[in-house]
Amino acid sequence: MTTDQLATAIIKGFLDGGESFLEGTLAAALPIFWLMALALHLARPYMLNTTHKFSLRLAADIWWVLYVGLRDAIVVIAFVMSFMYLFPDVLMSQALPIGGSLAAAILFGVLLTKLVADADDDPRAFRVVSYLLALGATLYILPTLAGVQVSALALGDPWDGLGKALVTSTNPTLAMGLWWISIIAVGVMGFVAVWFNLRAPGASLRRVA
Amino acid sequence: MTPEEITNAITQALVQGGQQWLVATIGAFMPGLWALTLIFHLARPYVLRTLRKLSLRFGADVWWLSYVLIRDAVALITFGLSVLFLMPNIALTMDVPLTAPLATLFLFWALYVKLMRDADDDVRAYRVATAFLVIGATFYFVPQTLGLEANSQDYLAGVATFLDSAKNQALAGPILVVALVGFAATAALIFYRVVLSASRRVGSGTAAPQKAGLS
Repeated sequence: MTTDQLATAIIKGFLDGGESFLEGTLAAALPIFWLMALALHLARPYMLNTTHKFSLRLAADIWWVLYVGLRDAIVVIAFVMSFMYLFPDVLMSQALPIGGSLAAAILFGVLLTKLVADADDDPRAFRVVSYLLALGATLYILPTLAGVQVSALALGDPWDGLGKALVTSTNPTLAMGLWWISIIAVGVMGFVAVWFNLRAPGASLRRVA
Repeated sequence: MTPEEITNAITQALVQGGQQWLVATIGAFMPGLWALTLIFHLARPYVLRTLRKLSLRFGADVWWLSYVLIRDAVALITFGLSVLFLMPNIALTMDVPLTAPLATLFLFWALYVKLMRDADDDVRAYRVATAFLVIGATFYFVPQTLGLEANSQDYLAGVATFLDSAKNQALAGPILVVALVGFAATAALIFYRVVLSASRRVGSGTAAPQKAGLS
């Protein structure tokens, strides 16, 4: 082995290992973000109750701003972290939950619903966001537990079969099928978000002024 | 292999590997940063809707200030890191999205519009900035997703090769040149307009109250 070959091998190990570590960490942290997003969304009645108890409007405003900011920031961060599920190479090379790409698209759907409808005042929009968050969390957490985690235990059939079916790297056909659905869904929703923005901001600006 | 050769190999690996790791890490974060830039920009109607619900101007100001600060900071950070794609040695030899330099240029134009026009109050300026951001993001996302990250898909092999700058240098070179010329021209225009506008303000005396306030 020459010096260059050894250096190349170390560099490759460094880069590939770093990438795998980063993607694995993001995938492992995402169930927590999904649960936090769902928990903060469902905490709305508690937050409203507490808001009504404040004797100062300033405190109530700060409480509400912090709640809304944190709740929405978690959804945005979770979507950005889920972005890796929109890359085919990542799906094929890592053992990731099979519903990850659909869950990413659903997170984008949550953001889009919050953009085009008032999920804080319109009960219908609130319900849509609730259903989307519940569906996304299920699509992410269930394959993580029954697929990624169980398949690593080598419990034998039927668990191994189930585990492999729910992991992207061992079920590439389904993973790529869901990837196409997700990427098209994100594209269409992105188009709707841009169209809504180009149409709506003028009216919004005038009303605020 | 002698100990000295192993030392050389490890040193070489650390230096080159460190550089590649830095570029690869920035490249890996760019889709997320682009997504954040777009999300914060497009979230404007939602932020305005929430702002109207706040009962005090203080709360509304804190909300709006936080939004504008984060939105613009994310756009600036994305732009700062995107400048990496204007470096010829990176754009032409490393696997980066083919149109990443153009994405940087469109982001620069969006920032130019924000700097020179009031994209928060002028609807036309807002729409122009939105269009630049969307085009820039598309120039980044499409080659990243269907090019760099689709090597495992045989049926996308042609597309993946076409959209990878290192594998399509014949097109990557001209794209980089166009982006660099556009970048330089835009930077020169910003400099000229800011200096000109500042000179006019000082000349017409509109800067006087600010001076008084500072002293």
